[in-house]
Amino acid sequence: MSWLSRLINVVRASKVERDLDDELRFHIDARIDALVQTGLPRHVAEEQVVRQFGSRLRLREASRDVKLLPWLDSLVRDIRLGLRMLRKHAVVTGAAIVSLSLALGACTGAFSLIDALILRPLPVRAPERLIHLTFPTYDPAWPENDTFSDPLFVRLREAARGRVDLFAVSYPERPSATFGDQGGEKEKLRTQFVSGDTFNRLGVVPAVGRLLTPQDDVRPGAHPVAVVSHAFWMRRFGGDPAIVGRWFALEERRAFGSGLWAGGQFQIVGVAEPRFMGVEPGRATDLWLPYAMAPGRLGNPEHSSFRVIGRVKEDASLEQVQSVLQAAFTSFRREHVERFGRGQSPESLERFVGTPLYVRSAANGPSPLRQQFERSLWILAAIAALVLLIAGSNVANLFLARTAAREREMSLRVSIGAGRGRLIQQMLVESALVAGVACALGLLFAGVAAPAVVGMLASADDPVYLDLRVDWRLVAFVGSLALLTTAVFGLAPALRAASVAPMTALKTGSAGAGTRAGVMRPFVAFQVAFSLVVLFVGGLLVLSFARLASVNPGFSSSGVVLLSVEPLHRVDEKRLHRALLQILDRLRDVPGVQAVSSAEFNVLGRPWRHYVRVPGTEHETIEATMAPVTPGFFETMRIPVLDGRTFTRRDIEAKNSTAVVVNQTFARRYFGRERAVGRLFEGRFDDNVVQNEIVGVVADTKHDLREPAAPTLYIPLRATGTFHVRTADDSATLMSRLREEVHAADPAFRVTAVTPQSAVIDQTLLRERLLALLSGFFAVVGLVLAAVGLYGVLSYSVVQRTKEIGIRLALGAQQLAVVRSVVTDAGITMLVGAAGGLAGGLYLARFVRALLYEVQPFDLWSLALPVGSLLCAGALAAVLPARRAARVDPVVALRYE
Amino acid sequence: MMKRHDSLQGALPLLVLKILLRRGPLHGYGITLHIETMSDEVLRVEEGSLYPALHRMEEAGWIKARWAVSEHKRRVRMYEVTAAGRRQLEAEEGRWHAVTGAVAHVLKHA
Repeated sequence: MSWLSRLINVVRASKVERDLDDELRFHIDARIDALVQTGLPRHVAEEQVVRQFGSRLRLREASRDVKLLPWLDSLVRDIRLGLRMLRKHAVVTGAAIVSLSLALGACTGAFSLIDALILRPLPVRAPERLIHLTFPTYDPAWPENDTFSDPLFVRLREAARGRVDLFAVSYPERPSATFGDQGGEKEKLRTQFVSGDTFNRLGVVPAVGRLLTPQDDVRPGAHPVAVVSHAFWMRRFGGDPAIVGRWFALEERRAFGSGLWAGGQFQIVGVAEPRFMGVEPGRATDLWLPYAMAPGRLGNPEHSSFRVIGRVKEDASLEQVQSVLQAAFTSFRREHVERFGRGQSPESLERFVGTPLYVRSAANGPSPLRQQFERSLWILAAIAALVLLIAGSNVANLFLARTAAREREMSLRVSIGAGRGRLIQQMLVESALVAGVACALGLLFAGVAAPAVVGMLASADDPVYLDLRVDWRLVAFVGSLALLTTAVFGLAPALRAASVAPMTALKTGSAGAGTRAGVMRPFVAFQVAFSLVVLFVGGLLVLSFARLASVNPGFSSSGVVLLSVEPLHRVDEKRLHRALLQILDRLRDVPGVQAVSSAEFNVLGRPWRHYVRVPGTEHETIEATMAPVTPGFFETMRIPVLDGRTFTRRDIEAKNSTAVVVNQTFARRYFGRERAVGRLFEGRFDDNVVQNEIVGVVADTKHDLREPAAPTLYIPLRATGTFHVRTADDSATLMSRLREEVHAADPAFRVTAVTPQSAVIDQTLLRERLLALLSGFFAVVGLVLAAVGLYGVLSYSVVQRTKEIGIRLALGAQQLAVVRSVVTDAGITMLVGAAGGLAGGLYLARFVRALLYEVQPFDLWSLALPVGSLLCAGALAAVLPARRAARVDPVVALRYE
Repeated sequence: MMKRHDSLQGALPLLVLKILLRRGPLHGYGITLHIETMSDEVLRVEEGSLYPALHRMEEAGWIKARWAVSEHKRRVRMYEVTAAGRRQLEAEEGRWHAVTGAVAHVLKHA
């Protein structure tokens, strides 16, 4: 019989047994018949044969072992027994499975996010040879810049030729495109300009048609071709191969201060292969356009929007590459120092020229999303791992308690000759069953939770795509976690079970109970320690978020909705300006609207900064945030006016208004105690030097809630921008009325998005909210698990000590003393755990420090919150067992047994 | 599990193979009957040894089994020798003769 058939026999063991029975039955019957034929009465014959045959059961067992793989057979039987035992203790099992699957799921979810965003290399040829260039910015909020202008890119590419093949990929943008079908509806596509050799250098191949080539780079503006991503092709065109050759219109967009979008008609020439979704994990590109079709940028050293990526040649070293690139970078900066450094001090000019150039690995693709969330994800992963340890300890304790309850069963099995190996196997099988179920549930949980987290990272303007596939890496991760959990937390109960001394255990059911509760105690101490770490770190993050969320931004955000308004087709500047005024007028007359204004940027954005210098002051040039707004902006946002006036209708109607409003920080920085209103300064916008006059000073507002207010220059807005509408009513009726009014004011315009201002603020606090929410959740889970563990060990030890307590009470001990002895036990365990946890938490706090806002690990609250909640949970967990101990009736306790 | 030793321990497979080879397919009971009658009731086959031995031999590939129906319409399991069993029998038989011959020699001349 082959190994395979024995394996099959294990599965159909009952059939094998039936066959064996049949065979033996026949033998017995035949022998009886033979005896009867010799003249013996049948019943005597039967008796004789059965006696002679011996134990049929044992016979069957012996033959059975030949027919089945004995180890596998015993395993299957253990699994059956295990399932029966687990079902019998449904509550205990359920608790173990729920806590483990939650923890395993959290770990898995964290892993799949980390894998997708941080670990997984780009799906291109030899990603480990890819590099990308960055340089330091000396701005702590954004320490490294990786945008380069076209002339600088060309200079670097030529310098490094032969050592590394550099190519340029622009930062993704989201212009609107119209494909001519579906009623000419506009859709926003994530678009990148790439130099023609990009696909070739990456090793990406087309799924349909062709990809971009260096021939598409030849003449600026002369190559209206496009490549779409496979995902977009499937999503939008259902994979129709007729897409190749199709024309579409790309909107012409004119952002304030940079009229750089070429727009116009483009023809699709191909679809990229499915796995390639752009070089930036987190942001999937829909559309690639030739670099030559970004005319505003070609040859323009002032417009930096390209990432420079490269493939290092086999024989080139990174040091060589760095040194040639550094030389080219420095000489380029030296040539352009005049243009960039106007009005800068000699020291800052020197720093500008001497800026180092970093060569970074681009194996995983450059990703701002990763920069923003990498640390947070690792912290969450660490917290999830701690919760897994807590849950695992809980499971170990549950099993330990059960082992104790099954001591008689175990002793019986040992005394009739079961090997200790079999007992260990039995216990390990049970914990593996729990781990296996938890593993499957955890995968399901992670499958829901991880995309939910990605959903939280995304906003309407900035969809985030992460490839959270279930691949062998993920399954291997969960599998090994489950195995590890089983081994670590199943082994203690298993060894415990195997070490029963049959004689003592069978003689007295309760001998050695004290030591057994002692075995559980270290697990509880560990749980307390881990849960304190989670509570402490979670508490810091929650406190930090609470502080940040309660920061006064300097304006009133509630009751303001933002309307994004865009022209349907190209309109000239005059019409833009007229539309602005008309839309403002119409919106103001809508009933329920309290105030209306428009601003180029949302208050919390800070996309445009300019260096300004005020003549007649000794100050260096300072960087000011530029904020084009309409009259009524300060009223709409409820920003107090401190001095002078704000804009009037005349300031935006007049072509050459010179009025500007500054914020308090700007005024203080330049003028100190002197009055700012009435002062003149030179502004240099779009290469026209203009004399501006400060007409008013308003209170500070924050552009970033984490930072102090920045010096801000408000200038009159002349194009449409984002409309800010203050209203007490945010009903759908009013919103659709607003949309209609915009369209009625000028049919060429329509509302593309309606967002409450508060949602924009939420978006800026995304990382903190995410961390606070998830770590807070895990802190609560950990706390509950630790409390359950403590409760379990306490109530178990009270049950075990019932007799002892009874004796003490009978001998005149006070109830209080009994309770104290139980609680002291718990208290010591908790204190040991808490001390360890606090030390661990304070050590780990250094890793979250960078993410904290105005919260210190050694603050009163930071320490009081976790310790306090742990003590409360501990007290709650101790109440019931303590009461039970106090209510022990000596008579009952002593008569028992 | 305790191993039970009986007088036929080593010789049982040999006898079974020989009988099956000579008499053709037989069921377990038939094998015991043959051994007993042919040895003039000197050798008694313990059922406790026979079936595990049969199943071990089946496992080793020396014999193969199939289900058949007896003259009394009972389901019976019939065993027969395989090619491997034949080779095994030759080897075992040679060894057996050598050993018993040696033992007899010692008994006679000691």
